[in-house]
Amino acid sequence: MSNGLSLPEELMGKIDHILDHLQQKTRTDCIILADVSGQVISTQGHMVDGTPSTVAALAAGDVAAMGELTRQIGEDNPHGSFFHEGDQKSIYLHNIAGSFILIVIFRAETPIGLVRLFAKRAVEKLRELTIEFEEVIDEPSPVDSEDFKTGLTRELEQAFSDE
Amino acid sequence: MYINWKLREINLKIVYYGPSLSGKTTTLQYVHSKTHPDRRGDLVSLKTREDRTLYFDYMQIELGKISGLKPRFNIYTVPGQVYYKQTRKLVLKGADGVVFVADSQRQRLRDNILAVRDMRRDLRELGFNPEQMPLVLQCNKRDLDDIVPVTILKKSLKMNGVPTFETIAIQGEGVLDGLKTIINRVVNKTEHRL
Repeated sequence: MSNGLSLPEELMGKIDHILDHLQQKTRTDCIILADVSGQVISTQGHMVDGTPSTVAALAAGDVAAMGELTRQIGEDNPHGSFFHEGDQKSIYLHNIAGSFILIVIFRAETPIGLVRLFAKRAVEKLRELTIEFEEVIDEPSPVDSEDFKTGLTRELEQAFSDE
Repeated sequence: MYINWKLREINLKIVYYGPSLSGKTTTLQYVHSKTHPDRRGDLVSLKTREDRTLYFDYMQIELGKISGLKPRFNIYTVPGQVYYKQTRKLVLKGADGVVFVADSQRQRLRDNILAVRDMRRDLRELGFNPEQMPLVLQCNKRDLDDIVPVTILKKSLKMNGVPTFETIAIQGEGVLDGLKTIINRVVNKTEHRL
């Protein structure tokens, strides 16, 4: 993972299909697939509060901490799932093969058992795809790097302008 | 780094690393305050009751489309306190670039040296080559008395050749220049992927 990840459209389509199916089955608000460093890979649905990128960053911290906790107590499999049950909304996290995190945000009326059942099925399918994830796939360069650098300088100036 | 070719998004991770109380959180707070509201996400801080960083601070900067691609920078700080060693390593996971925030005060030189050692060890353990990681040195607190000259600080940290910025994070001086530099270095390194 330290070299990064570049996913082509075809693979993204497969991922989106799995997440979309999970969302339909569970009628959850939002489903996010992130990598363990907290980068959002795909999102299905919408968040009323917060943003997927912030949720993914926090979830990555949570999953990393839980992995260490399980290691500290001598558990052999640090790649399990855990969830927070709230009064109105709950969140379910599943560590996929130590590389990716499935995040499911759902309302109190959705039974956790339903989320667990379908999330586990989705995880199995996503786990099969992780082999493809791990092979970094570079597409032919579609971008002129000089244009990109010039554009980057311009965009950074705009982002930090006081106006 | 993560590139989504379907949405044509590039996600890059930048980490502010350094000893405790060197000004990492202050740096990120300044960056957040100076980033156009349309281009920034919330600043999230996981703090202790004493207002010290417990896990990390986080914000996202999203730039407009450049050559059809949308770059997003996920920016983190690590907790500097000694006993959060393991947490610092977790935050470094997947980093594309690091800004080392050194405390310029003479009495903090040893802490800076120890933090750099930790950073290099953490990077190696995470599978990175520390020499190849895009790096920027931010020598902070340049407004205080009894500070170490930058040349000595760089030599002590074995960072000769690393782009260096003298900063006063609390006033924002030099902070954005350091950030722009690490962003450019990260993008230059990933150029072959674009």
